[in-house]
Amino acid sequence: MSEYAIQMKAITKVYPNGTMANQDVDFNVKRGEIHALMGENGAGKSTLMKMLFGLEQPTSGEILVNGEPTHLSSPTVAISKGIGMVHQHFMLVPSLTVAENMVLGMAPTKSGFMIDYKKAVAITEEYSKKFNLPVNANAKVMDIPVGMKQKVEILKALVRGAKILILDEPTAVLTTQEIQDLFKELKHLKEEGYTFIFISHKLNEIMDITDRMTILRGGRSMGIYETKDVTPQEISRLMVGRDVVLKMEKEEAKPTDEVLRVRDIEYVNEWGKKMLNKVSFSLRKGEILGIAGVEGNGQKELVDMLFGFNRPNAGTITVNGDNIIGLNQRECREKHISLVPEDRMLFGIASDASIEENLISDRAGSSEINNGPLFNMGAIHKMADQLIKDYTVLCKSRTQKVGSLSGGNIQKVVVAREFSNDPVLIIADQPTRGIDVGATEFIRKKLVELSRSGIAVLLISADLNEVMELSDSLMIMCGGEIAAYFEDTRELSDELMGKYMLGIEHQTPEEIRRVCHE
Amino acid sequence: MSKKNSIKFTLIRGITALLIALVVAFVLIFISAEGADFGEKIKNSIAALREMLVSPLFKKNGNFSSRNLSVVLAGTIPIMFTGLATCIMFSANQFNLGAEGGIMLGAFITALVAVYCPLPGPILMIVAILAGGAAVAIMMLIPAVLKAKLGVSEMVNSLMLNYVVMYLIGFFMNSYLADTSKGITQTYPFRDNSLLPQLVDNGSRLSWGFVIGLIIVVLCWFFMYRTRWGYGIRMTGLNQPFVMYSGLNVALIVILSQVLGGFLAGIGGGIEMLGRYNVYNWKALPGYGWTGITVAILAGNNPIYVPLAAFFMSYLTQGCSLMSTNANVPAQMISIIQAVIFLLFAAKQFLSGYRQKLVVQSAKEERAALEKGGNK
Amino acid sequence: MNILTTDFFFSIIRIATPILFATLAAVISEKGGVTNIGLEGIMMMSALFGSLGAYWSGSWFVGLLLAIAVGLAEALLMGFFAFNLRTDIILAGTAVNMIGSGGTLFLVKVITGGASTTNLITKAHQIPSINIPLIKDIPVLGEVISGHSLLTYLAFLMVILTFILLYKTPLGLNIRSVGENANAASSVGVSVMRIRYITIGIGGILAGMGGAFMSMYYAMGWSQDMVAGRGFIALAAQSMGNGEPLGGMLAALVFGFAQALGIKVSATGVDSNLVAPIPYVVTILALVVFALNQRRKEKKRFATALK
Repeated sequence: MSEYAIQMKAITKVYPNGTMANQDVDFNVKRGEIHALMGENGAGKSTLMKMLFGLEQPTSGEILVNGEPTHLSSPTVAISKGIGMVHQHFMLVPSLTVAENMVLGMAPTKSGFMIDYKKAVAITEEYSKKFNLPVNANAKVMDIPVGMKQKVEILKALVRGAKILILDEPTAVLTTQEIQDLFKELKHLKEEGYTFIFISHKLNEIMDITDRMTILRGGRSMGIYETKDVTPQEISRLMVGRDVVLKMEKEEAKPTDEVLRVRDIEYVNEWGKKMLNKVSFSLRKGEILGIAGVEGNGQKELVDMLFGFNRPNAGTITVNGDNIIGLNQRECREKHISLVPEDRMLFGIASDASIEENLISDRAGSSEINNGPLFNMGAIHKMADQLIKDYTVLCKSRTQKVGSLSGGNIQKVVVAREFSNDPVLIIADQPTRGIDVGATEFIRKKLVELSRSGIAVLLISADLNEVMELSDSLMIMCGGEIAAYFEDTRELSDELMGKYMLGIEHQTPEEIRRVCHE
Repeated sequence: MSKKNSIKFTLIRGITALLIALVVAFVLIFISAEGADFGEKIKNSIAALREMLVSPLFKKNGNFSSRNLSVVLAGTIPIMFTGLATCIMFSANQFNLGAEGGIMLGAFITALVAVYCPLPGPILMIVAILAGGAAVAIMMLIPAVLKAKLGVSEMVNSLMLNYVVMYLIGFFMNSYLADTSKGITQTYPFRDNSLLPQLVDNGSRLSWGFVIGLIIVVLCWFFMYRTRWGYGIRMTGLNQPFVMYSGLNVALIVILSQVLGGFLAGIGGGIEMLGRYNVYNWKALPGYGWTGITVAILAGNNPIYVPLAAFFMSYLTQGCSLMSTNANVPAQMISIIQAVIFLLFAAKQFLSGYRQKLVVQSAKEERAALEKGGNK
Repeated sequence: MNILTTDFFFSIIRIATPILFATLAAVISEKGGVTNIGLEGIMMMSALFGSLGAYWSGSWFVGLLLAIAVGLAEALLMGFFAFNLRTDIILAGTAVNMIGSGGTLFLVKVITGGASTTNLITKAHQIPSINIPLIKDIPVLGEVISGHSLLTYLAFLMVILTFILLYKTPLGLNIRSVGENANAASSVGVSVMRIRYITIGIGGILAGMGGAFMSMYYAMGWSQDMVAGRGFIALAAQSMGNGEPLGGMLAALVFGFAQALGIKVSATGVDSNLVAPIPYVVTILALVVFALNQRRKEKKRFATALK
């Protein structure tokens, strides 16, 4: 039998919309090891694992399971080959008990048609004991803590005969204590001969638990390494290093008055996890303040606070001196706040509406495009055509459905709207994610241009290239806190950034406090 | 997909749906046809089908009948209004099915004003119709506000209201309002100055209500496509989170769409009352609300196509009704045919294979055009 | 006037029966993630074919079976449009209701040659009433719970069976998981489409029984719009009963009570039009109370999370 549990050879995956998610990736996992799969968001980790679990099929390349070429056409096939997956978003049914979730689709019966619930509990407890993963078999999944849910997911895979487990960012939702428990369990299972693929971008965890690692960047493999042979510095360089440096020409920022003032905001999410901890910063007219960080470190929660989607448990937020906590989106827009949303298909556009209709959504009631009770269609057409021209939206006409445009052009429609309504503060949340180079460059230039005209820009991006090139000054968020603040991005190296992003280093409170400009 | 292919697909899809409905109609007619043997049944069925398809517009001798046309047009009046009401509510993704009770309440309130309010001249007519509209608009506040504020299903509530309306009207008629000198339950006659003038004087009851209907169709189109409120309604139907993020008031839009839908159903009831009757005597829900839903689906929720869809439904209804008198096929066949057309028009996957083919073809054509352009 | 007679309580149970069948149908459908607003139309059609079947065959049992078969067939057809052709489930249900109100009348006229009701059920073809031995002799209680239609007992038995189906069988486990998290179900190899068909099909069978009860016991034969919104009330009862069989049963009894009370009141000379809408008004009020309650619970849950 092959030494390898999994071999993926020269895997390339092109999605129907043309995105190349993986390119010539070689990936292998030895039997009985914990293998880390690392990379930033969008590096292609999920796609690679989806192919391994039969959820997607590779465009080219070969997959061998235990040395045998295997066609993984569906999760059912993958399960039958002994592959299990613990999804980041749990695949559990909340109102069912742990035992019921365990046996879903393979429930033991007595007298033919009744569930043998006792047996289900017995199976659950047997596996729970055997693998030292304590769960409460009779509790409903909705009532158990996240850490236990994860154990249930792992047990679910094991009870279906999985020998190779894919864990997709298993620690993202766990507390420190739960993470330590999980690691103990994984090590124990490893000794039993189980194989793990561990997806993460948290360095300390990787160093702690894995034997080998594969690092992906931009859909390509950066190589396979023995964990003991590499330093965290090397890993962070391989992971977050920049491929091509697009140099932005921009003049020196001359920040003036404070626009956005955030002080000591805290937020605990509905599962009781602290997502924002004493976050304070100020953003001034005429500057771009970047927020870098691995996703899930509080950026989303922060943006929600700034645009009325959520409110903090403590702290203050003002824009030009006015409180904005508790305002709804309309009131935020009345304060001239614009948001380029992270999820552009959900919030940014109505994909079945025309380009024109998407361009006026934030100003539908404004006097510029209304004549009494009626829309001033002349003004609307003129504005739409002008915006389409100014933002080089590639389309047949203003009446074309936005959903039929390419990703880059959809985003141009979003920014055209958000940048053109006389904003004082622009929040750009992952403004160029997943779009083509041309549109990316255009949007970046536009952001610089707007900031130099006296608008305050808050840029949230997981793309290091972007935050470093665009930002005049830069914060790094890690674990719901500001881990570092740099007044000048020019002095920064990728390596240093990586350390702060991955929590290897943390500035002193005094250093961080400089971002308040007091 | 290119515009040409898109139109082609819409047409072919519509025609196929209608053909299927026609086949279903034929089968139903065949089942109910009289005849000694198979051949005779087929012959009678064909005759009945011909009756259904042709008689709404043509006389027995095959000549076009303008009177028949005016009957069909008169039949479009109530369903144009319920159709418009449904268009607006469905556009905002509000599955309010209360146009049925709405048109009945509107008719009733209008009738009361027309009987009891001594207003001068045409003012009475206008006030009566508007009162009908206002009453239903207020009624629709119930499901609308409950949906917007509490998230209660507007569908169940509006259905319940249909029944409440029907029974309460029955109660008021029986207890207070009925003209006791008559053998059946009906109101006293409307004041003469409340009646809508007839468009043609041939007994078809084609009143000026038809013209008002067409004007309101245009107004609705303007409202939906040329005002911020209509825009908000349409966008809410397409993507509610987008509307919220854009700073529009989603709760208000949810309420507005249903209240406006109620108003339209209400004035529709009033206009039908004053244009066709001179007393109020409806005892049960009239069914116009359900036909209105079909009209809205056929019109793709676009007000401008409502008259066409209403004409089609009125034509079919009239056809079925004539067929039932002349060929002994029950007129209620209309509801089965209506359901078939309705289902096929609303089915997203109906002929999806064909659609996919057209999409691919369009993409290829576009690419070819692009390459050709590139070579130049 | 003394309304609290044994007759009164007997009538509550009788009136609640068809609503209970439809409510159970709604409960199962909703558990599988399907909102079936076509129950009303399915009941109409089943009511018609139940009475026809009994008349043709001379046997109530055949009538009942036919009613069930028709209910099942109509539900599956609705499923075909909703699941395979992706018609919005609300619109598919609306179409079923159109057929249920007008299409039934069409069929009646065709079949009976012009009549608009079927007064076909004679006492002999009616679904039999059952006197439960021993219990019928208990004073008061016996008068209330004995002597009901076979279907009434079946309806209450169905509450238990529905509960067992949903909570004690593998199929029920699959239904609940498909309704709550279809991805979780399909990730372990459960066919979502198949489960949805089964769910809507069982709903059709239950609604079929409810329809049979209407035309073969509640009334003697079929008449137009005889179901009178019970299919819609069932949707409300479903949500008021928190989507559970037992809760749905209690909600159905509340409606039975409201309507029985109405009948009592109208017997004193009050216009029946004034009491007939009571169940519908009760539905609206109940939905509001239920929604307010849900909201309060959510707030409480969130407040606990913050601690």
